Amino acid sequence: MTSSDPKLRRRRVDPLETGSSSLTHIVEEKKKEVWRAGSSGSSPISHCTALAIVTVLGCITTFYKIWHPAEVVFDEVHFGKFAGFYLKRTYFFDVHPPLAKMMLAGAGYLLGYDGHFDFGNIGDNYIENNVPYIGLRMLPATMNVLCVMLIYSIMRQSGYAVLTCSLSAAMYLLDNSAVAQNRLIMLDSMLVFYMLSTVYCYIRFRKLRYQEFTPAWWFWLIATGVAMAMTVSVKLVGLFVVTTIGICVLVDLWELMDIKRGLTMKQFMRHFNARAFALIIIPIFVYLFWFYIHFIILDQSGPGDTFMSSSFQETLKNSAIKMKSLDIHYGDEILIHHPGTEVYLHSHDLKYPLRYDDGRISSQGQQVTGVKEADDNCYWRIKPTKEISKDKRVPVRHNDIIQLEHVSTETNLLTHDVASPLLATNEEVTTVEQDKQYNETLFKVVLDDHNNGNIWSTHMKLVKLMHVDTKVAIWTRDKTLPEWGLGQQDVNGNKNTQDRSNFWMATEIKGLNATEINMNKKKEIKKIPFIMKFFELQGRMLRHNSGLTKPHPYQSTPITWPFLIRGISYWSKNDTREQIYMTGNVFGWWLSIGGVAIYAGIMLADILARRRGIEPIDEPLRHRFISSAGLFLILWLTHYLPFFAMGRSLFLHHYLPAATCNYLLLGAVFQFMFIDGIDSPVSRLEGTSNTKYRKFHPLMMVASPSKYSYLAASLILLGQLGMFLFLSPLTYGTPGMTISQVLQHKILNTWDLQFD
Amino acid sequence: MDTLKRRHITHSFNNIDGPSYERIPLQDDEDLYTEKIKAQRNYRFHHKYISWTIKNRHIVIPVILTLLSFWTRFRDIARSGNVIWDEAHFGKFGSFYLKNEFYFDVHPPLGKMLVGLSGWLSGYDGSFGFESGKEYPESINYSGMRLFNAAWGALIIPMTFGTARQLGMSLIASTLAATMVLCDTAYLCISRFILLDSMLLFFTCSSLYCLSGLCKVRHSPFSKHWWFWLTMTGISLGCVSSVKWVGLFAVALVGFSTVEELWDLFGDIKLPKLVYFGHWIARIMGLIAIPISIYMASFVAHFKVLSKSGPGDDQMNSLFQARLEGNKLAESPLEIAYGSTVTIKNHALGGGLLHSHVQKYPEGSKQQQITCYHHKDSNNEWFFSKPYPQNQMIPSLDKEEEENERKNENEESDKEKVKQNQQQMNNSIDEPVEYIGDGQEFRLIHVATKRKLHSHTIPAPVTVEQFEVSGYGGENATDEKDNWRIEIVDDISDKHAPKDRVRSLSTRFRIRHSVLGCLLAAHNTQLPQWGFKQIEIVCDRDAKENNANTWWNIEEHRNEKLPSAPKDARRSRFLKDFMYINAAMWRLNNALIPDPDKDDRLTSTPTQWPLVSVGLRMCGWGDDNVKYFLMGNPMVWWSSFISLWVFIITAGVYNVQRRRQFCELSQSQWDKFISVGKTLFLGWFLHYIPFFIMGRVMYLHHYFPALYFSILMVPFLLDHFTTHSTPKRRKIVFTIAFTLVILTFIYFSPIAFGMTGPADSYRGRQWFKSWKLTDEVI
Repeated sequence: MTSSDPKLRRRRVDPLETGSSSLTHIVEEKKKEVWRAGSSGSSPISHCTALAIVTVLGCITTFYKIWHPAEVVFDEVHFGKFAGFYLKRTYFFDVHPPLAKMMLAGAGYLLGYDGHFDFGNIGDNYIENNVPYIGLRMLPATMNVLCVMLIYSIMRQSGYAVLTCSLSAAMYLLDNSAVAQNRLIMLDSMLVFYMLSTVYCYIRFRKLRYQEFTPAWWFWLIATGVAMAMTVSVKLVGLFVVTTIGICVLVDLWELMDIKRGLTMKQFMRHFNARAFALIIIPIFVYLFWFYIHFIILDQSGPGDTFMSSSFQETLKNSAIKMKSLDIHYGDEILIHHPGTEVYLHSHDLKYPLRYDDGRISSQGQQVTGVKEADDNCYWRIKPTKEISKDKRVPVRHNDIIQLEHVSTETNLLTHDVASPLLATNEEVTTVEQDKQYNETLFKVVLDDHNNGNIWSTHMKLVKLMHVDTKVAIWTRDKTLPEWGLGQQDVNGNKNTQDRSNFWMATEIKGLNATEINMNKKKEIKKIPFIMKFFELQGRMLRHNSGLTKPHPYQSTPITWPFLIRGISYWSKNDTREQIYMTGNVFGWWLSIGGVAIYAGIMLADILARRRGIEPIDEPLRHRFISSAGLFLILWLTHYLPFFAMGRSLFLHHYLPAATCNYLLLGAVFQFMFIDGIDSPVSRLEGTSNTKYRKFHPLMMVASPSKYSYLAASLILLGQLGMFLFLSPLTYGTPGMTISQVLQHKILNTWDLQFD
Repeated sequence: MDTLKRRHITHSFNNIDGPSYERIPLQDDEDLYTEKIKAQRNYRFHHKYISWTIKNRHIVIPVILTLLSFWTRFRDIARSGNVIWDEAHFGKFGSFYLKNEFYFDVHPPLGKMLVGLSGWLSGYDGSFGFESGKEYPESINYSGMRLFNAAWGALIIPMTFGTARQLGMSLIASTLAATMVLCDTAYLCISRFILLDSMLLFFTCSSLYCLSGLCKVRHSPFSKHWWFWLTMTGISLGCVSSVKWVGLFAVALVGFSTVEELWDLFGDIKLPKLVYFGHWIARIMGLIAIPISIYMASFVAHFKVLSKSGPGDDQMNSLFQARLEGNKLAESPLEIAYGSTVTIKNHALGGGLLHSHVQKYPEGSKQQQITCYHHKDSNNEWFFSKPYPQNQMIPSLDKEEEENERKNENEESDKEKVKQNQQQMNNSIDEPVEYIGDGQEFRLIHVATKRKLHSHTIPAPVTVEQFEVSGYGGENATDEKDNWRIEIVDDISDKHAPKDRVRSLSTRFRIRHSVLGCLLAAHNTQLPQWGFKQIEIVCDRDAKENNANTWWNIEEHRNEKLPSAPKDARRSRFLKDFMYINAAMWRLNNALIPDPDKDDRLTSTPTQWPLVSVGLRMCGWGDDNVKYFLMGNPMVWWSSFISLWVFIITAGVYNVQRRRQFCELSQSQWDKFISVGKTLFLGWFLHYIPFFIMGRVMYLHHYFPALYFSILMVPFLLDHFTTHSTPKRRKIVFTIAFTLVILTFIYFSPIAFGMTGPADSYRGRQWFKSWKLTDEVI
């Protein structure tokens, strides 16, 4: 039951046992030895050289023919357009947070682009439309090169040999999916960049764990928080990296809490608070900051208006709704429109039939229906139920009780406990002559957004008409009445009063021209506190995102991703038979998923063996394999598994961050399998404020790559390079291919390439 | 060590006092001690029966509880003479066993066979239809059937007591556990009708009981007791999963505990490898082999008893149907020829019949829909015609004939019409019979609408990467894309049968499109409402030849020119049928999804359950009805839900304390706390959380197995927190608990015993609006 406990303790105790008074001396000796052995491949110089090489190579693969194709490719349709909206400062709506799109817009601004092009369709020509697309693409492409550098640095900081670091970075820069995706005007390259930055900062922070609360420690801790927030500000999937860091911090805190660690509760709380501040508070502010900028830039009405509430729209300049809106007063004759089904509330001089087809009986009252086009029969006059002054025009307010008179037949709207024609559970809506059944003709005006002004107005305020007597709401739905109702839409009293579709909107007041009246008014712009705007937008983004379930021909299921069962056709051109087909490097992806399996196998074997009292792996190696490679594994898992639970339509490119993490893990597994030993320790011990920690130093060790390991690495790289070159026509979209070539490139027959 | 020492004291103490019947756990010590002194003191003054009772209270208390539970469960059981709630289903299913007719249902057969048994015992012959809400005819001894079910429900209470004892709870805590189960209105209510829930609960409880027994003897493995408990656990698990599939959650619970134990043993280096291996074998035998055999045995019995054709035939594979007594399939002609009218069944587990109807696809080609449908109707019938461009043999009625028929005004069924068509056609074409064999081309014409089975490069409606299959053309329009080719896979009953003929029922074949080369396939994707939630048919481009989704067989077959099949029994094999029926159950279970268009007041969501936010009206709510309202005792439900959180928080606090080394608990106390608490929490978790990811329609009673585990958590925690308090305080705490539970039970008991008179007179008991105990006043 408590078996895990002694085990934990044992691991902690191990380094302690070796502790002695002359320890620091030994450490120094060893360290010198390590530096001397630097020629074996871990000196700063060789690291720098290797980093420089992969960077140059990364530039080559990323920027190769970046001007091709000079046409809109796949999701550039969206993100190019969104960048344009920032430049035009018109409001738009998107499910992703604003940072990456603002970066693209920033690039556009520097290039002098004014956002005139609408990126309407895949295949629209950039040159004809005078778009500086190469400059725009430069930004994500540069980020991709930075990703290569980050991968190298992460591996280096984690203490892997030059060979391993180069391998991971090279695998990434030769990955077709990374190249194809990350040089186009899309968000993924920023996402991966910030995600890797977060990991890098956290590793730097973690390495300083024995120099707690030093400036460097604080710097990297806060940098982790900021990078994390930037990731989330690009796409909400950035929350996956937050999860990873969260798990790591919890494990870290749990270890700090151990009494043997020698921290008092006060010290522990200091650690806790520092992390809470840097990893929760700061990220929230950074995240909010980008939205703040977002709202400042987008101050004009635009295509995103309709996604937002009317009070939000009022905060935008030139808002159409603002121009159209008029306050409604008693005595006005108005049109009432149902936004969900786009019909007007209507009545005409026809009665409900006495007996319906199913034998039920009606009240034989006048029909009330919904019609698509407004006519004279659609005007309703608002009559007060309380004394109002005759001289002034009194506005209708939230919670007022009113009567609605159908103007052309001079009857009052009514609903009562009679089954409606099509839905027996709902109430029939009809009209009666004046002064009859007074109690059943009373309706309460319930405004949706009554906190921001409680006067009912056209276009601005959604309204629910609640029947006072029977507590139903006037409702309509997408069902038409039979012949006797002229095929118009069914209107009834809905007992489920909480339903959103109960809301209607007044669209016009008879005889009043809104635009004219509002022209004279000053164009005042309302202000809403930023935080309210933020919550509204965030809520709508989440709702919209989960609503993206419409099937797409290229969507796929998460289980198929690591095996590359299917790619996505991004772009194709018939004349030249060129195409971009987004797919990963089959060699690299299969190898890295194999790496996951190997990791799991080794860990399982180790756990089983240790349970039987055998320790097959040296402690420092094992420690590295658990803490460093384990981090990479968690990264991969958190970037992959959540997709299985998502309901929205998913695409292969959602796997890209996970595939990137998988290359990190592949490197770690490679080091474990092919290189003897590791470079250890990676954490600095000198300058520790708390002398107790000095006892906790890990064992010293030096990695020594053999010829064999170089051979293995070159074989892997050769495989990756070969596959990369083979797939490059699909990645770069050039050159065009004949049918036989296309067929040849169908590595799996489930790939649906164009022109086969 | 601490435990041992004190245990010895207890023993010696007991020896003075007389024989002890049960080992007394720690918590009782002080309490008992004072009580015993008192008992001794009172010995002189009180009657000797009282002292005997006090001395033997370990026996007396459970006996009293059992009697009470039988009394509550049996009391006035026949008050409502109507078919209540799901009696409509399970009573009916029980009847099928008595009539030996094959039916099909989502639940495994054991529970329903027991219902059948109850009917047999009370002399019922299976003739009643169990229509919902209908009054039982006098000839039916429905109260006998209900008593049988209630007995299972009553037996839960002593079992709860035993379980609590075996988990190491004190006497008073165990009594509280049993009392809470006894006084839960929901358990009471559900046990009193002809339903499966009382059996399900009984076997769930017995699983935990046996598991706790097994844990208690874990330190003497391979002893007689150990084998006993291991076998009993296996049997309970087998039974619980054979009643309803939710029983599998109990299997998971035992599985977790077993894996943990094996892991502990694995770390014991001194244990000989052979013994460790033995542990594995014993558990595989006891906890895997036994439950599986019981589960399969229940199906063997199911198939044996239900030997006649009945309403469930359609759901089974064709060969199975042919085997049933009274089913016509076995008599149909054996080999398929051009001119045959057939129904074609998908061979995948739970596959349906190739179907079409007049409705069109709303998107894509907008031609007629082709689907896969699981029930028999005339729209499943297809006619084998020569391929394009040979002349068509479309079954069509002459107009005169049609008029004649109308004149006859005989209500002729569609089938008969089709038969006439068939004759007509056969008469008109005087060709020799031409059998269809491997590789031959044909067209399939939908008999009812004359459309031809057709495919084209338009994407399918749901699985967009595949081709759509549609019904094409009217009477005359046809093209080469109507042609299909048959590819015989094999013959089930005769592996070496030549491939030159297609035999109905037994030949498995693929249908390949002649032009596109894709295979006709039915994957398990449902069409939206416009396709009536039937299964989508596509033409599979990937052409996976070994996928059973692309395999078909002929089910019904009619051809006037051909003789009936010889009476060689087409043997069907149990294992195949077993797999098949389970797949069909799985499919139907998944298809029980809530209908968004229907406002169903009876269903509820998992979040509403633990806090008693909803109740369920089990019958009509008229003033004359005896009304049963399925709702938990709020005190029991609330306290049990809170106790789960208390456990989690306490465990967390203890963990931190242990990390900081200032925990008051000794190692043994901690071990006990965590092992019992973990089992109970895991039990609740496994029986509750999966409902959140289930798509099917859910009712309140789905929470009952989970509730049982959380109920036990309450006395366990009370016990744990009062270990160190004075006997007086302990007594006060438990008295309050008992009082609350019993009083609320008495207050709410009418909802379970049956409310008479208008529901409005019980308005006071509707503490929350959401309970809907009474109708809303408008």
